[in-house]
Amino acid sequence: MFERVKNTDDGGESSDTSRSESDKTFGALRSKVGSRSNDVAVIGSSIQINGDLRGDEDLRIEGNVTGTVELKNSVLTIGKEGKVTAGVYAKSIAVDGETKGDLYATERVSVHVNARVQGNIIAPKVSIEEGAHFKGSIEMDPAAVEKALAKTTTSMADKPDARTKSGNPAKKVADTKVIPPAKSA
Amino acid sequence: MARLDETERHVVLDLGAASTSMLALLGQCRCRVEIADLAHFGGIDRLNTAEPGPALPAAANAMLPNRLPDDAFDLVFCWDLPNYLTLNALSALMSTVADRSRPGAVAHALIHYSERDMCEHPGRFVPTADGDELVDCHATHATIAAPRYSPEDLDKGMSPFVLDRARLLSNGMQEFLFRL
Repeated sequence: MFERVKNTDDGGESSDTSRSESDKTFGALRSKVGSRSNDVAVIGSSIQINGDLRGDEDLRIEGNVTGTVELKNSVLTIGKEGKVTAGVYAKSIAVDGETKGDLYATERVSVHVNARVQGNIIAPKVSIEEGAHFKGSIEMDPAAVEKALAKTTTSMADKPDARTKSGNPAKKVADTKVIPPAKSA
Repeated sequence: MARLDETERHVVLDLGAASTSMLALLGQCRCRVEIADLAHFGGIDRLNTAEPGPALPAAANAMLPNRLPDDAFDLVFCWDLPNYLTLNALSALMSTVADRSRPGAVAHALIHYSERDMCEHPGRFVPTADGDELVDCHATHATIAAPRYSPEDLDKGMSPFVLDRARLLSNGMQEFLFRL
C-alpha cells in the first residue's frame, strides 16, 4: 500500500498545511485575549459552568464547561486550561485544551498540538496538528457535512432561545449556572 | 491509497494517532475517518490486561469510536500496533473491528520482522504528500523485544481478516494487507 517506511527522530513533520488563514485568525485572537479585548469574552480558569451557554460574540474558555455551547456566528477558542464536556456549535472552533463531545462548525475546526479531543468533528475544514490527541470521527464527505450541519442548525432553531424573551440579542451568556471553585481548607 | 475510488464514499478506521498528512490524503476522497488512537488513550494496556472471556471483546469495543448506523469500515489502518498486542488481544480487537466492517474491507498492518527489537512505543506514521511513503516521526531510541509474529500467528490474530498480500520493506518491517 505504501512504498517505503522511514524512521526519523526529528520530532515530527511540519504542520504547515494546517496553518491556514483561519489559524492566523485564532493566532490573532490569542494575542487579544490577554488584554481583555472587547472582541473576545473569556471564561477564566477558575470558573465552572453547568448548562447551556449561548451567545453572539467570540469566546475563549479557560475554565470548565459542561452542557452545550452554541456560538452560531462566532469563534470559540478552548484555551490550554479549558475543559469542555459538551456538544459545541460555532462558526469556528479552535482547541488547545480538552473537549469531550461533538464539535460542529460551519467553517472550521482546528485541533492544536497537545490538545485532547474525544468526540466527532463535523466541519467543512478540519486540521489536527501533529502531537494533538484525538479520538472520534471526522466527516470528510462534503455532502455528509452539509447534511449534518443543516440538521444541527434546524434542531438548534427548534430550541427555545433566551434571546426571544427580551427581544434583544443575547450579549454574552444565557441559561448558565456559575459555580465558584471550592475553597480549600 | 491511490486505489481509493474518489467518487465513492469510504469509511476509514485508523487505530493509530490522528495525523495532518493522513487527513490531507484522505481528504482527497469522500470519506469518514474514525480515529481510535489506541496508544494514547490506553487501549493497548487495557486490551493486553483484560481477562480472557467476555471482558476482552468488551474492552475492544470500548476502544473504538461509537458505532454509527450505515457506516461500516472499508479500510482499517493498524500500523505497527499488532506488535504491541498479545495475540489474544489482537484477535479480540480485530473480531470487533470485523463486526463493524463491510465484506471485502481491507486491513493494513506493519510487523517488525527482521529486527529482534522495536521502539518501546508504537510509531506515529505519516504518509508523504504522494501517499507512497511512510515516515515514523516519533521513533525513539528506547527499545523492547519485538514479538516477530509469523504470518501464521498473524493469520490467527487478525482473523476473521485473511492474509491477502505481504512484502518486506527496506527498513526490515513486513507490510501486510488483510481482507475480510
